[in-house]
Amino acid sequence: MSVRISIHGKESALTEICSVRVGQTLFGVAITHIVEIVGGAHPQVAPLAPEFVGGLVHYRGEVLTTVSLRQLLGMARREGPQDILVLESPGGCFGLLVDSVSEVLTVCSADHEANPSLLDERRGALFAGAYKLREGLLIMLNTERLSPEWLDSECVDRARAMA
Amino acid sequence: MDELTREFLIESQEGLDRMERCLTELEERPRDAELLGDIFRSVHTIKGTTGFLGFKRMERLAHVGENLLGLLRDGKLLADNAIITGLLRLMDALRGILRTIEMHEHDGDGTEAEQDSELIGLLEKLQRAEEVVVVTTDVAEPSLQAEQASSALPMIRGAQIRGAQAVEQVIQDADTAPVPVSAVARGTTASDTTLRVDVVLLNRMMNLVGELVLTRNQILQATAQDANLTLLSRRLDMVTADLRESVMRARMQPVSNVFSKFPRVIRDLSQALHRKVRLVMEGQETELDKSLLEAIKDPLTHAIRNSLDHGIEPPAVRVASGKDAEGTLKLRAYQESSHVIIEVSDDGAGIRVDKVRGKAIERGLITAERASQLSERELLQLIFLPGFSTAEAITNVSGRGVGMDVVRTNVEKIGGKVEIDSRPGKGTVMRLRIPLTLAIIPALIVYSLRQSFALPQGALSELVHISPDRAVSAIEWMEGTPLYRLRGQLLPLIFLDRLLCPEVRAGGLDAERNLFIAVLDTDGRRFGLVVDGLANPEEIVVKPLSAVLKSIGVYSGATVLGNGELALILDPGAIASRVGVTIRIQEDRVGEEAQADELADGMASRYLLVESAGRRAAIALGEVLRVERIPRSRVEYLGRRPVLNFEGQLLPVEDSGGVLAAAGSDLDAPVTVVVCREGSRQVGIAVSHVLDVAAGAELYEAGSRQRASGVTLLRNHVTGVVEVRDVPPLPASCDLELESETLA
Repeated sequence: MSVRISIHGKESALTEICSVRVGQTLFGVAITHIVEIVGGAHPQVAPLAPEFVGGLVHYRGEVLTTVSLRQLLGMARREGPQDILVLESPGGCFGLLVDSVSEVLTVCSADHEANPSLLDERRGALFAGAYKLREGLLIMLNTERLSPEWLDSECVDRARAMA
Repeated sequence: MDELTREFLIESQEGLDRMERCLTELEERPRDAELLGDIFRSVHTIKGTTGFLGFKRMERLAHVGENLLGLLRDGKLLADNAIITGLLRLMDALRGILRTIEMHEHDGDGTEAEQDSELIGLLEKLQRAEEVVVVTTDVAEPSLQAEQASSALPMIRGAQIRGAQAVEQVIQDADTAPVPVSAVARGTTASDTTLRVDVVLLNRMMNLVGELVLTRNQILQATAQDANLTLLSRRLDMVTADLRESVMRARMQPVSNVFSKFPRVIRDLSQALHRKVRLVMEGQETELDKSLLEAIKDPLTHAIRNSLDHGIEPPAVRVASGKDAEGTLKLRAYQESSHVIIEVSDDGAGIRVDKVRGKAIERGLITAERASQLSERELLQLIFLPGFSTAEAITNVSGRGVGMDVVRTNVEKIGGKVEIDSRPGKGTVMRLRIPLTLAIIPALIVYSLRQSFALPQGALSELVHISPDRAVSAIEWMEGTPLYRLRGQLLPLIFLDRLLCPEVRAGGLDAERNLFIAVLDTDGRRFGLVVDGLANPEEIVVKPLSAVLKSIGVYSGATVLGNGELALILDPGAIASRVGVTIRIQEDRVGEEAQADELADGMASRYLLVESAGRRAAIALGEVLRVERIPRSRVEYLGRRPVLNFEGQLLPVEDSGGVLAAAGSDLDAPVTVVVCREGSRQVGIAVSHVLDVAAGAELYEAGSRQRASGVTLLRNHVTGVVEVRDVPPLPASCDLELESETLA
């Protein structure tokens, strides 16, 4: 959902972004990518699963694999209920596990800036730049690269590169 | 692909399936006008539609076929072997084109024209054979006419038609006219009451019903207190159960869908192998989930090939051994509680057990020592090991050492079981036990790492409990490999918590906790899975896992338990492979460890040693299915006979020891019932305790070489053997109502 507007003669677009919080950081996912938001979930741990898997949840008769943004960014596992964004990927739906979902923000493309070159390679792949808001930065997530299939193949690639 | 083409593909496929069935029947009844009419219509419909849709290649083939079939239908030609072979080839070619259309949306790019014209040439030649046939049948015609007339006459007389002229007239019309009418009538009724539904939609419905079941469970819990809602929620409960049943039924298809392929397979094979085989099929209306039906097609074909190649002998051999030159292959399907049993039996040469043993030792699949301990039945099951084949020569059909192990792997993959029984000279029976549906399986819920896991019942053979005080001593270690002595044989153990959470691996056993060993049997590998706790068995709805979790190779799916908790379903085969349990290692270890006294006795046979009202008795282990420990109140009475109601099946309970009476009026007192298999029925034997499993030795009457029957030597005691077959069956009439007076 975007609207084109003109500010100071510069063409720019308005986009609605769902903001989510992990630790102290505010992340954003374009609402057009979100299938559904499930609140207060207790994912079931799947032993032996790759590190980024946050567990399994029951979602509309299916068992959904979740990707924990926390574990993906190397933060500690969190106890207690968490919120889930249900996203679509070529391999089917998956859940993105975040600490909590906050409000939907309308942002302007003029405030967007690409990833800084300082960012490490992994984060650079997962992030799609940031919006400079008055309250701070809203880091955009590259939803295509958050799917378990993509992350799994990336894990394999990294292991191969190390060997 | 547009709707019209898709419709055409499905319809044509069905038409060809029908044609295949009719063609093999036609071989036996080449004059059957109804069959010919059916086949003609199938090809005619295909020709008509292809012309309309512009599939020229297919139209040409169907056209030639239609001409030939027209001649057959009009009785100008007799369907002999050559013609049927030609028509079968036509059918294969049409199937091939349908596949091409499905993949490329056109019916070939002209390169196939050559092979088409060869087939067309053949079919045209068969048509011209008409002239030859007509000449020969000219002589035969009068007698044929007479034969038909004499058989038709009584019926026609009944229809009150008088006069020889009129009769002759009717006979001539009878060949063609009445049959299509009845057939057309059948066709319309079938299409009026049935509907094609996409399997994807059915799967979705199945999922939603599963979801509904869960929601219902929660509502039932929430409304338990409120009297007003109880009635409503009970109604919801019933409707949900009915709905689930109906959706499952919608996915069911009769086994005839698979069976109908076999007449052709057998026809081709018996010609290639020069055998004479009569195929008998029973229970074709038995229904099975569609996905399972697909999965058993290959194993059944393998089994049939084996029966024809190794089982049924060439006609000359059969006659020499006093059998009918024509062998019988029987396919039988029937339902037994939550399983469908499919039997492939033949009256061929049977399997010689000594040959199986010799071959297994020669191939290094088993040690000679170990082989000497196995019963004949157990030896027979060796043919399911990979790399086993007794065929002297490798034929086109079988003998490459693949086959039986493929049968077993495929059947186990869908949670089924295979067993084989054979009598030398009499024949072989192979039995496939297939669960009714894949979507819902019985499973045992186990705990480990404070989490629930589901273990499919199919692989589970027994459970062992080790109390905290025995835990340290009961588990022995061989260079870091934990082992448990199960009735004197070493069983490799896998700790589920260490497997799933490698950090736990360090350190030995922390004592003072209960351990449960689930003894699993999969692909011929046997191992014990150690878990922290057991919960009730549950019927679980299997949900697929994402590729990431499936690739771990430990889980086969996930499920939602009755309390709403998620549980991963463990895959015993994958766990065994992951840890490296192999058939060979286990076999060797068993050989080393076999107990000396058992060896000395020659391991005549094994018995379950039970105590019944103070007396010891033995039950042959081969007959024991399972041991149930149930509250006394579960036993009900049918007249004076104690019976058990198991999942809707009635089990007669033998209580000659008076165990039930001894339990007295305490309805909660547990009683132990040994469930045994006797032929095709099951019976229960009430006992006080199950003591042990031991090998029995035969006893002979003093001064004679006559084997004493009904007794055996167990642990140096003469012990009476319970004859399961002496338990009288329940009364056959079903009108005897089950009185549930639970002896108060």
